[in-house]
Amino acid sequence: MNFRLRSGKKGLELRLHELEAAIMNIVWSKRLAEFAVGDVLAVLEKQREIAYTTVMTTVVRLYEKGLLTRVRDGRRYLYSPKLSREEFLESTARSVLDRAVDNQQAMAMLVERVSEASAAELDNLEALIQLRREELEK
Amino acid sequence: MTEAAFPVLGAAFVVLVVLPVSALVAKLGLLLVESVGVRGPLGSLNVRYLLLTSSSFLPLLWFLSAGVHQAETGHSALSCLLKHEQGGLCFEPASFAIVLAAMALLAALRSFSPNGSVPISRSAEAIRLADRVERLIGASSSLGSLRRRIVVTDASGFTLGTRGYFRPQVFVGTSFAATLTDQMLSSALGHEQEHLRSLDPLRYLILQFALGINPCGRFLLAPHVAGWKGAREADCDRAAVIEGASPLPLADAIVRAARPTVREVAALGARNTAILELRIKMLLAFAECAPRRLERDSRSAMPVALVLLFMTVLLPHRVGTGVLDFVHTGAEQVLTYVWR
Repeated sequence: MNFRLRSGKKGLELRLHELEAAIMNIVWSKRLAEFAVGDVLAVLEKQREIAYTTVMTTVVRLYEKGLLTRVRDGRRYLYSPKLSREEFLESTARSVLDRAVDNQQAMAMLVERVSEASAAELDNLEALIQLRREELEK
Repeated sequence: MTEAAFPVLGAAFVVLVVLPVSALVAKLGLLLVESVGVRGPLGSLNVRYLLLTSSSFLPLLWFLSAGVHQAETGHSALSCLLKHEQGGLCFEPASFAIVLAAMALLAALRSFSPNGSVPISRSAEAIRLADRVERLIGASSSLGSLRRRIVVTDASGFTLGTRGYFRPQVFVGTSFAATLTDQMLSSALGHEQEHLRSLDPLRYLILQFALGINPCGRFLLAPHVAGWKGAREADCDRAAVIEGASPLPLADAIVRAARPTVREVAALGARNTAILELRIKMLLAFAECAPRRLERDSRSAMPVALVLLFMTVLLPHRVGTGVLDFVHTGAEQVLTYVWR
């Protein structure tokens, strides 16, 4: 697998471009075990204006990065995710944990408080949780 | 003067040369384990914990035990450790062991940072929360080990945490708990239950000491300790979900706990939220696909560590103390060279 970390980006986008992350998000949240480019395009078209060729190019790039496998199905390819979302996050964990700082406390807190400057990040995380809740309820 | 050479120079050699080299070897081992492990830096937590702690404690214990053995040369391990033969006592190795133990103890005490006390509250609000927690524990089949291990506190800004080294307890802040639904609180308690079962406060304390007694511990191993603790938190989230906690309410509780109170805003420095984000995203992934328990029981780390310590203590008595002899003669030669 050939990845390059992207500075200033977080989560999925840490190692994937925005559209790549959006496509992988669809594949994982819709639990697509096997899909064609058109399947992903159908979902993406509801969120933004996008051309078939753009999606196809991005899916091929994800295949080349090793995140997808593919088999030929007549004149098209059927793609499958190689890793689950959890496995992908685990594989990106090194860059996250390398920046960790030891708090020197012999105590286990649910989480350390963060500064007010991170309030926006906490808002984003809450929004993500809410979004996933809505996705699962659908 | 020559009698003092070995105890002082020998102990200094162990602290300034042996321990740093051991930390360097441990660091190489940690880098290897983190890169070849299936789950990378999120996996092999027990092996990494053993590498982090044993790099300081095992060499130290070996030299202490060897010093004790040489103090009563020719006697069995049990005789050296328990039944001291005053007649045949050799004071140089005994002094070496005492100086080394004192140096290690001082360094460990210097590194110790107390957690500060959290008061147990008996206010009406605290009693209501205690009843609520008791009800949640009673209703859950997986939170049984938290019975009689919950402490409620009105302490300002306290959220949720596990304290206590040998009989840990979970402290719950009343103001924080008031912001959580039952499902969030129950899931958060599931996370803390994993810390409690694995005696994590004690394990963190041992880590703190291991880093403190090694002069290069902070420099070489602290980043690995921080990474290990981050991975341990993520592992407790995973274990809580496997035991029945709901991933999304747990994620919600974690984000709420991370928010600073009005009083804390000025006091808190900029903290990296990357681990928090990783944990939340892992929990979102668990909501999509239930996690499997990958790390074998983390509680096995403690018995394995104790067996290793026991073997290290016995080793000089069974195999010999050649390395200590080398340190002994080396210290005396250095002194002779300096005095010449």
